[in-house]
Amino acid sequence: MSRLHDMGGRFGDGLIPLPRGAENEVTNFEPTFKYKWHAKAWAITLAAGALGEWNLDISRHYRECLPPKDYINFSYYEKWLAALTNLLIDKELISLNELKEYVFAAEKGTLRKFSDKDIKLDQRTWLAKDVQKTLGWGGPSIRDTNVSPVFNIGDKVITQNYNPNKDISGGHTRLPKYAMGRVGVIHSYNNNHVFPDKNAHGLGENPLPLYTVEFKSSELWGELAESQNDSILLDLWEPYLKLFPN
Amino acid sequence: MSEKKNITDDHHHQHDHAHSHLPSDPELRVKAVETLLLNKGLIDSKTLDELIDTYENRIGPKNGAKVVAKAWVDPEYKKRLLNDATSAIRELSYQGRQGENMAVVENTPETHNVIVCTLCSCYPWPVLGIPPTWYKSDEYRSRTVREPRKVLLEFGLPLDPKVQIKVWDSTAEIRYLVLPMRPKGTVNMNENELAELVTRNSMIGTGLPKEIK
Repeated sequence: MSRLHDMGGRFGDGLIPLPRGAENEVTNFEPTFKYKWHAKAWAITLAAGALGEWNLDISRHYRECLPPKDYINFSYYEKWLAALTNLLIDKELISLNELKEYVFAAEKGTLRKFSDKDIKLDQRTWLAKDVQKTLGWGGPSIRDTNVSPVFNIGDKVITQNYNPNKDISGGHTRLPKYAMGRVGVIHSYNNNHVFPDKNAHGLGENPLPLYTVEFKSSELWGELAESQNDSILLDLWEPYLKLFPN
Repeated sequence: MSEKKNITDDHHHQHDHAHSHLPSDPELRVKAVETLLLNKGLIDSKTLDELIDTYENRIGPKNGAKVVAKAWVDPEYKKRLLNDATSAIRELSYQGRQGENMAVVENTPETHNVIVCTLCSCYPWPVLGIPPTWYKSDEYRSRTVREPRKVLLEFGLPLDPKVQIKVWDSTAEIRYLVLPMRPKGTVNMNENELAELVTRNSMIGTGLPKEIK
């Protein structure tokens, strides 16, 4: 089984929601953030992440773990904010009582931001002067390890036919359901990367070989594939794959 | 902070989700969490302003357009870009968050590349900025891997059945940029003029560069 975020290939979704102008014509223009609160939800997620209490894989998994009803009903940045709130509580950066107090004040219109001199910045807090430097570094996921890749370019491989996360039932993985149990060909080897299936659960980085694997459209979608010629390429970690006997 | 808990999925089932206590109006919801974090000194408002200003005004598809235009005029640069995209893009000072491991895929008369992230919304921030709403939509995420030709048609891009489509689903930390084909009739244009032709969608594979009229 999988979760709702794993939606590649599912049926039922309608037209792509392209931005439209005054005459309902498709336009290419769209502001970076449609509403101020989108920008804020995004920015506080990045700033809270910089406290170092969780990694990218953990925050992704928190979004995936929103209850299905919420995952469906929430807009993109509502999902971000809900997952952030759950993380802040679980990592004990805020308490549930504090949250309730601020929510109550927000609804009553009595929310008050302290004046700067009354705020004591935490040691871990990301300062404006460090923003460009930290963004420029980013968070590379490649690790220098002596793990050698098992597969060669051109090898035929078959993907696991269930969630490959062996540590946690319903745990995080980056093998989408639509590509489970399918045969593809190793297109390239891309060094060893932090393994999300472990890292999302605080079980260490465990860097492993990452491959790009090419699947024929017909292998994924059968005879009804749009074109037998097209292909889909995914970046998959070694434990997701087994050599396919020729 | 005290000893950290090892978070597992089971943890979520033991009590109500904290987020269920948030107000129903998303604007108020953000305001409540933001103010709490500010007052606790866990985030700084100047940092938020700097982040938003950076991606609203400095980092966006204009960066990617410069990479593409340079590859169109400089064959040696193009070779470096296709071999080691991360380093070649860093030559133009574009690097870092959500572009740590870049790959550039080239469109040719035989092959058309399209980028998607079916599991979330992975996107090469240093060269394209924050993804547009449609890229993050359920519709784009679910349909692009199964029916890319129908999806491209909605973008006004009908593809010849003889052209092979390659859909790249960004399931790991590699971030993809499409190198579109240089439009005809542009031999006399310089790099800056060419960059003006490169649209955001042409670098995701859901569009083509602007044509010369």
